[in-house]
Amino acid sequence: MNVLNGVITQIQSHEGISLVKAKTTKDIVFTSIVLDTSETAEYLKEGNDIKIIFKETEVIISKDAELNISVQNQIPCIIQSIKTGKLLSQVNLLFGETIIKSIITSNACKQLQLKENDKVMALIKTNEISLSPND
Amino acid sequence: MIDLEPLWLTAKLALVTTSILLVVALPLCYWLAYSKFKFKVVVEAIISLPLVLPPSVLGFYLLIAFSPENGFGKFLEEHFNLRLVFSFQGLIIASVLYSLPFMINPILSGLKNLPISLQEASFTLGKSKFITLVKILLPNIKASLLTGIVMTFAHTIGEFGVVLMIGGSIPKETKVVSIAIYDEVQSMNYHNANVYAGILLAFTFSILLAVHLINNKFKQKSLF
Amino acid sequence: MIQFYAYKMLQTSKGTQPLNVSFNIEKGQFVSLYGNSGAGKTTILRILAGLTNAEKLLIEVDGEVWDSSDKKHHLSIQKRSIGFVFQDFALFPNLTVKENLEFALQKNDNKKIVEELLELMELESLQQSKPQNLSGGQKQRVALARAIVRQPKILLLDEPLSAVDDEMRFKLQDYILKVHKHYKLTTILVSHHLPELYKLSDKVIVIDKGKILKEGKPNIVFSEQKISSKFKLTGEIIEIIKSDIIYVVNVLAGNNIVKVVATEDEINNLKVGQKVLVASKAFNPMIQVIE
Repeated sequence: MNVLNGVITQIQSHEGISLVKAKTTKDIVFTSIVLDTSETAEYLKEGNDIKIIFKETEVIISKDAELNISVQNQIPCIIQSIKTGKLLSQVNLLFGETIIKSIITSNACKQLQLKENDKVMALIKTNEISLSPND
Repeated sequence: MIDLEPLWLTAKLALVTTSILLVVALPLCYWLAYSKFKFKVVVEAIISLPLVLPPSVLGFYLLIAFSPENGFGKFLEEHFNLRLVFSFQGLIIASVLYSLPFMINPILSGLKNLPISLQEASFTLGKSKFITLVKILLPNIKASLLTGIVMTFAHTIGEFGVVLMIGGSIPKETKVVSIAIYDEVQSMNYHNANVYAGILLAFTFSILLAVHLINNKFKQKSLF
Repeated sequence: MIQFYAYKMLQTSKGTQPLNVSFNIEKGQFVSLYGNSGAGKTTILRILAGLTNAEKLLIEVDGEVWDSSDKKHHLSIQKRSIGFVFQDFALFPNLTVKENLEFALQKNDNKKIVEELLELMELESLQQSKPQNLSGGQKQRVALARAIVRQPKILLLDEPLSAVDDEMRFKLQDYILKVHKHYKLTTILVSHHLPELYKLSDKVIVIDKGKILKEGKPNIVFSEQKISSKFKLTGEIIEIIKSDIIYVVNVLAGNNIVKVVATEDEINNLKVGQKVLVASKAFNPMIQVIE
């Protein structure tokens, strides 16, 4: 589980669903879509501290920086380390002082020829990010 | 020809004792089953005493208590002109005490086995303790009631030690069958003793058999 | 309409624990008490009914004081305008269904209500049966009908649906709603079945370890939890299996085993036997009709 701290910068709600933007350190903005509004969840207020949560297996890695793709969360990172298994590999990505872990297939790892200190993009779909009040 | 009087006397004693005990036992059992009184166990222990105490011990204490020489007996004689030693009334009191556990224990365990919610439900439906006891609790412990009644009856028929101590063997007054048998044996009248003993055996066996048959029937259409 | 305050030391399996709660209930509301077993929910119902006493009490219903430990006032169970449905139903085994209902009639009550309830609860064909010949769901209906014969102000339900299967549960929930509305009752239900609370209640009071944790409308009380994920289950870890560089955690939730993938770092904090929350976004699960 990747857990990052953030501050809510914008909430856009419609019929019970909200698109929430939250800023983390280094001014990276994450976008999450949740089935809540500020009426049903107290912590959903601009300026509130929150946790941004997503699963390792939902983090996509791309070597290209400029992508014409629907994924809203695109975070430039540096590969800190790779742990290779038979089928799966865990890639630890660094942006600022924060680590994002990604689990991808070892085949994908080979195909992209990922190695330490490579510059990559970590991609996470908005609907894969959960939020939680930070207290 | 044997004297039938002891048989009637025994039946009368058993009947009166059972009736009194039933009336006494119901409120007492209700209290024992549901009261939160701290020293309830002490009362329960006292009630069970006759189960283990030699009947002669109970008879001896009652003899002392009822004796006109002593305080309580003297009081009764002076104020009520009542003498309990060697009298049928005395015998009844002794029997009631002696058979107490035989009536109490089955009824009490019957009540304790009923789910407490039955009583609580009745209360929440606005019914008093009395109505609850009569209309809900007692009809659901019929088997226990029957056991209590029959055991008390049969046990009173069979008592000997207490009767001997407090009643002696006065014809038409305290000479019950069990005493009569003893007397006949003492005077070597084995035939009469045999007849008395046979009647007692047949009678007690048949009522116990009846109880077990009826209780089995109750259990078959089990309540819960 | 109901003002309730109680303080009582409870004996639980984990030692003594004070029950200390205070709440208000409006007339006509359907309120559910929710919480783990041993939290004190049933005790609250019993205190309100007068079946259990407490060290400190102040209960007022419709302006009438039912209990006041300060004034040493205690209204007897019989005089409280309540209907109580017990967890074991507490039907009288010696009486038929109809007699069970009739037993609840008071001196000058109109007998019509018994007929009316037998009809409303669809019990007419069973009215001559003895309780021991009824199914769990039927017993439940009889218990519910019997509790309403007196036309009480307050209906108290102590986990009445815990003993029946899901299908029966849904039906019985409808019966409960029906009588709640038909007789304009104020109803308090003890339950730890979430779907039930959502369906039935106007208000939920969440109780934990003898204290009120939260109260309010069910969708607000239950949605405002630690994580925004909407697909959530709680369960117990029964097995952790290493697979390649990841781990598969088997979690028993209800009667189902769900499998969750975890990384090595996460496993360090997980042990077999631990209670855990499994969460996923509502966007991920797929839904299919079974049958």
